[in-house]
Amino acid sequence: MIEFEKFELENGLRVIFHQDVTTPIAVVNIIYDVGARDEDPNRTGFAHLFEHLMFGGSKNIPNYDSPLQLAGGECNAFTNNDITNYYDTLPVQNLETAMWLESDRMLELAFTPKSLEVQRNVVIEEFKQRYLNQPYGDVWLELRPLIYKEHPYNWATIGKNIDHIANATMEEVKDFFYTHYGPQNAVLVVGGNTTREEVEELAKKWFGPIPKRDKQERNISPEPKQLEERRKKIEREVPANAMYLAFRMGSRLTEDHYLGDLCSDILAGGKSSRMYHELVVKSRLFSNISAYITGGWEDGLFVVSGQLSEGVSFEEGEKAVWKQLKNMANEEIAQRELQKVKNKFKTSKVFSEQSLMSRVLKIAMFELMGKLGQINDELSNYDTINGSQIQEFASRTFIKENSNLLLIQRKNG
Amino acid sequence: MDRVKGPEFKQAESISLSFPKQIKLNNDVDLYYLDEVKDDSVKLEFSWTAGTKYAKDKLIASFTNKLLFSGTADRTAREISEEVDFYGGYLQKNIDKDHAGFTIYCLNENVSTIFKIVSKVLANCTFPVEELDKERTIALEQFKIDSEKVKNLCRRRFNAGLFGEESAYGRIVENADFEEVSKSNVEAFYKDFYQNNRPTIFLCGKVDDSFIEDLREWSSQFSSGEKANTVSLDEQQTGEFHSEQEGAIQSAIRIGCRMFDKKHPDYFGFQLLNTVLGGYFGSRLMANIREDKGYTYGIGSSLAVMEDAAYFFIATEVGSEVREAAINEVFKELQKLQDEAIPEDELNRVKNYMFGEFLRQSDGSLAMMECFKNIYFNQLQESYYSDFFKALHKFTAADLQQLAQKYFQKNKMIVMSVG
Repeated sequence: MIEFEKFELENGLRVIFHQDVTTPIAVVNIIYDVGARDEDPNRTGFAHLFEHLMFGGSKNIPNYDSPLQLAGGECNAFTNNDITNYYDTLPVQNLETAMWLESDRMLELAFTPKSLEVQRNVVIEEFKQRYLNQPYGDVWLELRPLIYKEHPYNWATIGKNIDHIANATMEEVKDFFYTHYGPQNAVLVVGGNTTREEVEELAKKWFGPIPKRDKQERNISPEPKQLEERRKKIEREVPANAMYLAFRMGSRLTEDHYLGDLCSDILAGGKSSRMYHELVVKSRLFSNISAYITGGWEDGLFVVSGQLSEGVSFEEGEKAVWKQLKNMANEEIAQRELQKVKNKFKTSKVFSEQSLMSRVLKIAMFELMGKLGQINDELSNYDTINGSQIQEFASRTFIKENSNLLLIQRKNG
Repeated sequence: MDRVKGPEFKQAESISLSFPKQIKLNNDVDLYYLDEVKDDSVKLEFSWTAGTKYAKDKLIASFTNKLLFSGTADRTAREISEEVDFYGGYLQKNIDKDHAGFTIYCLNENVSTIFKIVSKVLANCTFPVEELDKERTIALEQFKIDSEKVKNLCRRRFNAGLFGEESAYGRIVENADFEEVSKSNVEAFYKDFYQNNRPTIFLCGKVDDSFIEDLREWSSQFSSGEKANTVSLDEQQTGEFHSEQEGAIQSAIRIGCRMFDKKHPDYFGFQLLNTVLGGYFGSRLMANIREDKGYTYGIGSSLAVMEDAAYFFIATEVGSEVREAAINEVFKELQKLQDEAIPEDELNRVKNYMFGEFLRQSDGSLAMMECFKNIYFNQLQESYYSDFFKALHKFTAADLQQLAQKYFQKNKMIVMSVG
């Protein structure tokens, strides 16, 4: 059970306090309601570039990290297609240091040309390291545009094209900041061995004076229903042929999320799963196989991916995967098999809520999704699902007209 | 309110660690049990002296570990996994150069049931050939993927340069080695290093007394003592080595040398020096090579300690066109720490960061168990962490400059790059 207290400052900043008296560490987490989905199609990768710039100094503080480290703290951040999240962990007696630092960069960034120039290069190296210089690293750069034609999920967080980052100007950076990084667009969550009174006092002191900025209405055109099968084959220098099969499904905010999650576990969650047994152990068509959901807030994907064993054709692999997907829809799911994936979820939930950091992050995410009141309902959301609901999910999701297949052919030589 | 100066802060003064209690089971098997756990989670870890260094042939130790639950006369690997999964258990196998074993993650209501399943399978494992072949295929495919990454190639060659290709710490696995793994080798290794060898057990969670008795009964089967095996080491190579990798757009770089272990009198000071150099986000290496030059997404340095050897290393991946420049900058930073005293404010910052890091790394029962394992495996004093804390306060910039002069000498380093 995750407990919390919530209040709002006059400038629109939402503040949530989560108490944990058992740890010497406090967590300060700020989630901003901006992700790659909010980017201009001609300026992609900006939300993520911006995450880097947020460490390049703010109005009154030339360097973000040094004062935090001096107070024994550490910080990091991540960006995805939906949100950008920043967090600091530090000894609880120094909580105020993190409030000071986070508030100053919400107030105004330093916008130094040097910071922009360097972070552009760092992001370009990150692009190379994570997406280009790894086998299968560019899969999502290929898959997204295959699946999304209208919606900004069309591009990955790193951006469509390195040039968008290379050409970013200071004017654009400033504009992005004032549009998305105001108090009305953020949620502050503080966790640790402190009190609501202290958190409220510190939040008012440091964040209260930040002027309210206009709330930008999001106006994203939804991706139309997919009506035809899509396929693409690419050649890459990879050790084995691989296939990625993605189906559109409901978003993180819909019941599909829970159905898809359990369904993916039944299919490929661990060594007792169906696909592992049938495709890796028995027929040995694949050397590995996985199934997972992406959990996007606007639209979801169910993905099956695997590497084909030497000498196995794409046709054979594809056929075998489809057979498992069709079985999911057509055959009754044994009670024990369903209970198994629910029991595993229960264990992993207990472990995932052990750290204060992950509880705080979860609170921030649920608030931004507009589901904070339901944060403790997750277990029952899974528990109440029955086998026929999963079959129904499978039968409407796993159809050719809703499928996107990316084949990666090994380049010879 | 002063937005420029910021609020007052206090550094952490001490850490409070709860260590597990030691319970002697049968045949001198030790159980370390920490029950200060707030929820229903249980982490149960079994560790044997069965790491890769104990196998004469490459891959035997790791395949034995992979196949511990691959089947018995009356149960297949799938049935075993299914049962563990059904009770909400996660079974993870662990292996490094020195130790090997497995860990069960579950809820306390199921720990006894899961342990019964797992222990029975472990005692009766038949290592079926088809499971061995399957694991061979999977592991080889994964190995091929890993071998496409310059950072892995660089790490392998770096270790070979540090310890020698004949050494169990430096030997390089090749694709062909996977074919050599046989059922009989795996069975023999299992017998010597799991069955006839005492495990150490680490248990984190609230369990019933009867479960401790289950473990006690189980421990009776392990007859003989621990295996001793000191790894042979060649002399470390020095100088620069580069291997061209066609098509790579980044180069992986490793620079380092052999170093002392955690019991050495210079260890605490060297850890502080290492943190200044490359042990945290604001380090000299990050500030110069990432934040100032933009050559890389990340660069860091660290001290790795194994049972029979230890080494210091700096690792990064940079744009191939700036490889030489990046290596030069690394050596400039090493030289600077020898030539100039670390400014007082920087030294303070790093010390305070490390005090905070101690708190983070000992936060919660799982983390405290990890701290204890560090003491246990490295045979350190129980006061290790408080000693470290106290020692940090005392170091001066002059002390660190001396350490840098002693340990950061360029002619003692090996520089390996691939890309």
